[in-house]
Amino acid sequence: MPVETIIGAWVATGLTLFIFSFLYKDNPLFKLAENLYVGVSVGYTIVKTYDTVIVHLIWKPIVENGEWALLIPVAIGTLMLTRYVPKAAWLSRYAFAFIVGVGSGLAIPRVISSYILKQIEDTVRPLMVMVPGEGLTFTMNLLNPASSLNTIIILIGVSSVLFYFFFSVEHTGPGKAVARTGILFLMIAFGAAFGYTVMARMSLLIGRLTDLIEFTDPSYGRPSLWLLGLTILTLVVMGRRRPQGEPPEPH
Amino acid sequence: MSFAERMLKIDRRIIFLVIGLCTLFPLLYPVGLPIKISPEVRGVYDYIESLPEGSVFLLSLDFDPASKPELYPQSISLLRHAFRKNLRVIAMTLWVSGTGMADQVITQVAREMGKESGKDYVFLGWSPGGSAVIINMGQDLYGAFPADYNGKPTKGLPVLQGITNLRDVNYAVSLGAGNPGVEAWYVFGKDKYKFELGGGCTGVMAPGLYPLLRSGQINGLIGGLRGAAEYETLIGQKGRAIAGMDAQSATHLAIIVLVIMCNLFYFSLRKQAKQQGHSGA
Amino acid sequence: MIFLRRQVPLLITLITGLVFAAQYYVPHPASEQMLTSVTKWLQIIGGFALVLGVSSLFHVHAMKIRRKEAGWGYSFVLYVSMLGTIAVGLWSNGKEAIDGTMTAFGWIYNFMMVPLQGTMFAILAFFIASAAYRSFRARSREAAVLLIAAVIVMMGRVPLGEYLIPLSGDLSQWILNVLNASVRRAILIGVSLGTVALSIKIIFGMERSYLGGGKE
Repeated sequence: MPVETIIGAWVATGLTLFIFSFLYKDNPLFKLAENLYVGVSVGYTIVKTYDTVIVHLIWKPIVENGEWALLIPVAIGTLMLTRYVPKAAWLSRYAFAFIVGVGSGLAIPRVISSYILKQIEDTVRPLMVMVPGEGLTFTMNLLNPASSLNTIIILIGVSSVLFYFFFSVEHTGPGKAVARTGILFLMIAFGAAFGYTVMARMSLLIGRLTDLIEFTDPSYGRPSLWLLGLTILTLVVMGRRRPQGEPPEPH
Repeated sequence: MSFAERMLKIDRRIIFLVIGLCTLFPLLYPVGLPIKISPEVRGVYDYIESLPEGSVFLLSLDFDPASKPELYPQSISLLRHAFRKNLRVIAMTLWVSGTGMADQVITQVAREMGKESGKDYVFLGWSPGGSAVIINMGQDLYGAFPADYNGKPTKGLPVLQGITNLRDVNYAVSLGAGNPGVEAWYVFGKDKYKFELGGGCTGVMAPGLYPLLRSGQINGLIGGLRGAAEYETLIGQKGRAIAGMDAQSATHLAIIVLVIMCNLFYFSLRKQAKQQGHSGA
Repeated sequence: MIFLRRQVPLLITLITGLVFAAQYYVPHPASEQMLTSVTKWLQIIGGFALVLGVSSLFHVHAMKIRRKEAGWGYSFVLYVSMLGTIAVGLWSNGKEAIDGTMTAFGWIYNFMMVPLQGTMFAILAFFIASAAYRSFRARSREAAVLLIAAVIVMMGRVPLGEYLIPLSGDLSQWILNVLNASVRRAILIGVSLGTVALSIKIIFGMERSYLGGGKE
C-alpha cells in the first residue's frame, strides 16, 4: 500500500476520533478538528473557485477565444467586492441589483409552471376512471398511489393543509373540522419526516464507522485501534488536569 | 426520585453508547436480511434499463462529503448500471466541495468497467451559479463547461458527439443533498428542456420529493442509504449500502425501543402525579 | 447622488426582472441568446459571490489572532490550514487527481476534508437518538399521531422492520406516497406562492433589503 495512503488513513482516523470525542464532552481535540475543518473547507473552496472561474471561465475564453464580453460579469463581480471599501461600498448595490433582478425574473415563470400549476394539476384529477369493458370505475386500492381513493385522500390533504395555513382566522364550525384534519395530515407528514431524518443520520454514522472498521486492518497499521486508545488517554489526562471550580458538563 | 424519573434523566452518554454499539455490531457481524425493492427506485432502474446503447445519461452529483455515506453508494450503482448498458455518461457536480468525490467515483467505476475518459464518459467538474449552470447547459453545454475536469476542451470530445444542450440528453439523474439538487434540475432544466429526469437524495430530503414523484415530474427516486441498497440489489452488485442495512435496522429498532421506554416512563410518572393529586385532595 | 446610489439599483432590478420573466414566454433566437449570455455571466458572478461569502472569515479570525482573544490559537490553526490548503491546491493546479493519480491537494481533500465534514454530521446521529428519548412523548393526541407515523416509517424502511412486521413496509409506503405527499404538496404550493410574491415585490422595489443598509 502506498505510504501516503497509510499516513492518510492515520490522519483521517485521528480527525474522526477527535470529532467523536465531543460525545464525551467538549474538549480541545474537538475544537482543533473543528477549526481545521473550517480552514481546509474554505481553502478548498477558494482553490476550486480560482481554478474554475478565473482560469477556465474567464482567462482562457478571453485570451484564447477573444470572448471580451466576459469582462462584463467580471466587472459586476468586482463591483460586489467593493463591499470591503467603505467609501465605494454603495457600488456593490449595482451587482446585487443585477443578480437579484435576474434571479427573480428567472424564478417567477419557472416556479409557477413547475410547482404551482403542475402540482395543482396532479391534485385535481378525475375521481373515477374509465376502464375498457367495465365503464366508470372507482378504485379502492390504497397501495396504488393513483387509485381513486388515494386521489380523494390527497385532495382532502392538500386542501385542508392549505386551509390551515392560509386562513389564519379563528377556526370555528366546519372550518375547525377542516383545520383539524389539516393538523392531522401535518402530524403524519412530520412523523414521516422524523423517521426519514433518523434514517439519514444513522446512515452517516454507519458510513463513518465503516471507514473506522476498514482502518483497523493491519495493512494500514491499525490506526483506529491505536488512535482510539490514544484519544481516550488524552481525554482522561485532560479531565484530570481540569482546574478546580470549573462547572461540570451538563448532562 | 422514582425509577421512572431517574430513567428519564439518564446520562445521555449511555444513549450514545447504545447507538454506537447498535451500529458497530451489525457492521462487524452482518446478518444480511433481504431487501424489498420499492417502486420509486425501480422507476430509475427500469428507465436506464430501457435506454438503447449509446444514449446520453447525465449524472449530476450534487452533494458534499457530509452526505457521502448515503449518496456515494448511489452514484457507484448508477454508474455501474449506465456503463454496463454502454450509455454515454456525462458526470458533473453543482456542489464545490463534492468535486473531488465526484471525480473519484467516476474514475474508479470507469476503470473497473474498462471505460475511457472522453470516449465513453466525461467528467465536467464543478461550476458555480447553481441554477444558472443548469439553464446555461440547457442553452449551450459547451458555453457552460468549455473544458472538462482535466482541462480538455469539451468541444470535439467523442462522447459528446451530437450533443449541443440538455435537450439532447436522454436521461438525467441528480443525486442531491440540498439546493441546488433534484428540484433545481426540474425547475430550471426539465421544465424547459424536456429531458427525462430521475432523482436520488438523502433521507432527510426524500419525503419532500414525493409530490414531484407523484406528478411524474421525476420518474423515480432513490432515497438515502436504503434506496442505494435497493439499487445495489437490482444491479446484483453488493456494496457499502447493502452492508450497512443491518446496522440501519438495528439503530432504527434501538430508537423505537428508546421512544417506547421514554413514553412508558412518562406515562407512569403522569399516573403517579395524578394519584398523588387525588390523595392530596 | 441619491439617484445613483438608490434609484439606479432599483431600476436595474426592475428592468432585469421584467426582461427575464418575459424571456420565458418569448422563445425568439435573440431572446434565447440573451438568456445564454446572461446565465453564463451568472456562473462567473457566482464565483465572486462565493469568494465574498467565505472571505468574511479571514477578517473575523485575523482580528481574533491580532487581539489575542480567548481561543485565538484555534483561529491560528484555521488560518494555517486555510493558507496551507490554498498553497497546496495552487501547486497541484487545483486538481485532486491527475489521470487517476491523487495529488497533494487530493490527499488533503480525501484524508482531511472528507472525514472531518462527514464526522461532523455523523455525530448528529447520537443527538437525534438522545433527543428522541428525551422529548418524543405522546403528550397530546397530535403528538401521538406524529409518534406512531414516525415509528411506522422507521420500521417500514429497514429490512428488519419489514421482516418483523411485514405490513409496515406497505404502510410506510402509503404514508409517504399519499399522506406525506399531500402535505408536502400543500407546503410546496404555499412556499411557491410566497416565492413568486416576494420576487414580484423585489422587482417592483417594494422589498429592498437585498440592497443592504448604509448611506443613501
